[in-house]
Amino acid sequence: MTDKNETVIALLSQPNSGKSTLFNALTGLKQHVGNWPGKTVEQKEGTFEYEGKKYVVADLPGTYSLSANSDEEMITRDYIASGKADVVCILADSSQLERSLYMLSDFAGIEVPCFLILNMSDVAKDQGKLIKPADIESRLGIPVVLFSATDKKDYKPFYTALTAAIEGQTKLKRDGLEAKYKQLPEYVNIKQIIGDLNDEHRSSMWLAVKSVEGDAPVIAQVKAKLDSSKRTEFEQAVNSIDKGVVKTGECKFAWIDEVIEGSVDTKKKSVEMGKFDRLITHKFWGKAVVVITILLGLIASFIPALPFMGIGSAIGMIPAPLNDYLISIGCPGFIAAILCDVLITCFSFVIQMLGFVFGVTLVFGLLEEIGVMARISYVFDNTMAKLGLQGKSVMPFLISFGCTMGGAAGTRVIDNWGQKVLTIALAWAIPCGAAWAVVPMLSTLFFGPGAAAIIAVILVVMILHMWLTAKIFGRSLVKPENRCGMIMELPPYHKPKWGALFRYVLGRTKETFLRSFKVVLIVAFVFWLLSYTASGDAAGSILFKAGQAIEPVTMLFGMKWQTFTAFIASSLGKEGALGVLSTIYSGVGTITVGSMKGAAVAANLNDLLIANISKPEALAFIFAITFNMPCIVALAATYQETHSAKWTSIIAGYYTATALVLAGIAYHVGLLIW
Amino acid sequence: MKKLAQMKQGQTGVVTAINGDARYMSRITSIGITPGCTISIVKNDKNRPVIVYTRDTMIALNEKECNNIEVQEGS
Repeated sequence: MTDKNETVIALLSQPNSGKSTLFNALTGLKQHVGNWPGKTVEQKEGTFEYEGKKYVVADLPGTYSLSANSDEEMITRDYIASGKADVVCILADSSQLERSLYMLSDFAGIEVPCFLILNMSDVAKDQGKLIKPADIESRLGIPVVLFSATDKKDYKPFYTALTAAIEGQTKLKRDGLEAKYKQLPEYVNIKQIIGDLNDEHRSSMWLAVKSVEGDAPVIAQVKAKLDSSKRTEFEQAVNSIDKGVVKTGECKFAWIDEVIEGSVDTKKKSVEMGKFDRLITHKFWGKAVVVITILLGLIASFIPALPFMGIGSAIGMIPAPLNDYLISIGCPGFIAAILCDVLITCFSFVIQMLGFVFGVTLVFGLLEEIGVMARISYVFDNTMAKLGLQGKSVMPFLISFGCTMGGAAGTRVIDNWGQKVLTIALAWAIPCGAAWAVVPMLSTLFFGPGAAAIIAVILVVMILHMWLTAKIFGRSLVKPENRCGMIMELPPYHKPKWGALFRYVLGRTKETFLRSFKVVLIVAFVFWLLSYTASGDAAGSILFKAGQAIEPVTMLFGMKWQTFTAFIASSLGKEGALGVLSTIYSGVGTITVGSMKGAAVAANLNDLLIANISKPEALAFIFAITFNMPCIVALAATYQETHSAKWTSIIAGYYTATALVLAGIAYHVGLLIW
Repeated sequence: MKKLAQMKQGQTGVVTAINGDARYMSRITSIGITPGCTISIVKNDKNRPVIVYTRDTMIALNEKECNNIEVQEGS
């Protein structure tokens, strides 16, 4: 119960059991996303009402067990054992019932009311599996429902089970499981030492089993509670156990077999891979098929993105006439500028970017849901392991050639936090679509046919950059002792459930919009303040004065104050680098507008650039903006995915610094050549 | 008795032992591979994870770590 008299339901399941589908269907858009206190794990809560009663749903991280091997597992079990939830809803996948009931067996012994959902009944049915939930229900002593979370019209059985569990305070029967444990001498020994020791919600059986499994936090807690006379005995007993977790695992599955015995009618199915499966996992063609699949996905992402981009750029047309109009009716220039140059311009920028995030989340969420993503991971596992990453990281990398924000959003499917952050950190080194729009043009302008060589060098530098960045950040993000090899389920191909998918994508897009708009607005406002002058002559602004003052330093990196200012502005958005140069050299327009649109470039910009920038400086500038941080929206997306302000700023600082170093190298090499 | 990594595509056997560090044993148990379970090899290509099938589930396992799993070959 919360203090607002809401009943709290915790959702507990292994990955791929349809937990988020259930969560989204129950709560709709009434969700709150934050961090677990002090952790970088996402905390999702939502609310709903049923028959006049209010419920809070806590979507716990999907984990395979309640052991203590990761933050996710610790959070999940501590939350459940804390008794914060009035009822625990445990989900299992009906099509893989035996295996997915492991979570139930690992939960058994925690004394909180619960009920069991045998989800994905439709998939099980398609596979010819007949499940009789009534038998299972009587063996477990808790409500058991066979149901499909994707079928939003038929949620009655879920609510009935929920209500029954709360009213009956139904607890899981676990005598059968304890009987299995009692066949293990290790368990008998530990249980005898700790006796009836328990804490509020964790029974002595659960504490004893976890001790047998060598679970360090539980062992420490038990030791602290034991009489000092028994501590040494307990310690010795625990230390003498070998492979405890394998032995208790056998007990758990033996119990599961008893629970479902005679309740699952399976027509034996052969285990053959389908045609597409054989192709995508092929020894030689696999990688090519994966790359083509992702690139097609990337192209497909633009289709749902187009309407957003259209609306965004239409909004981007408003500031210029609106500004004139506001000035004409006597509105102070300062306020008109904030409204037009900052607020509306940012809004237009974010909406356009959001279209791409929407597209990427939809297309790659679809690939994840139907089961293709797991195959991608399989094919690239060995290659990506060299960078300390998992196979799925290849997808965000390829997306980042289009848009880094999309790439960052794509890392959602990576289930290990450290690898997720490292993937984003490396994806930043990949020049995005905006860089590809500016860099070849600038290269051709200054170096003619030499542009091809410059682009080749950029690609080589990109690979070295990624390799080096993996070395630098890999050590702390993905610690060698945590670098475990792949143990991954390859789920059977599912038909996509469009309703559930759209609910997921809309929720994600909304979150991204709120977060990124805030960040973009703040950064753009600060930048605008620094570049604002009452007269409209940019040369008087703080930014320009500061730029001129530090020019001796920036010249080390081959940048005069003009190009340096454009470099700083390119952190907001790379499209803008040209717009800013145009503003500075021609004295037309404002920098904030220029930096986000790259529009309104002076007609004679090419001549202005060639007249004002030397070849080595141009080379330095090209490298500086290519490898600078991608844009503020990517920064916001990085924060959203990593849940860590610390790592987001480390990555941003690192990229600003490395871009300057690369520019410096390019400049000095350039000086030698020309 | 064979290591899982040495088995070939299409072969089936029964798991007899799981070795490795505590973390590995915990992860492999929770995904459903325990002594006594029947396991078959769906795919075992060089320099790729091994794909196995057990308890109605297809699972990809790191090639090297498959040396931790011992199997008694059957039909």
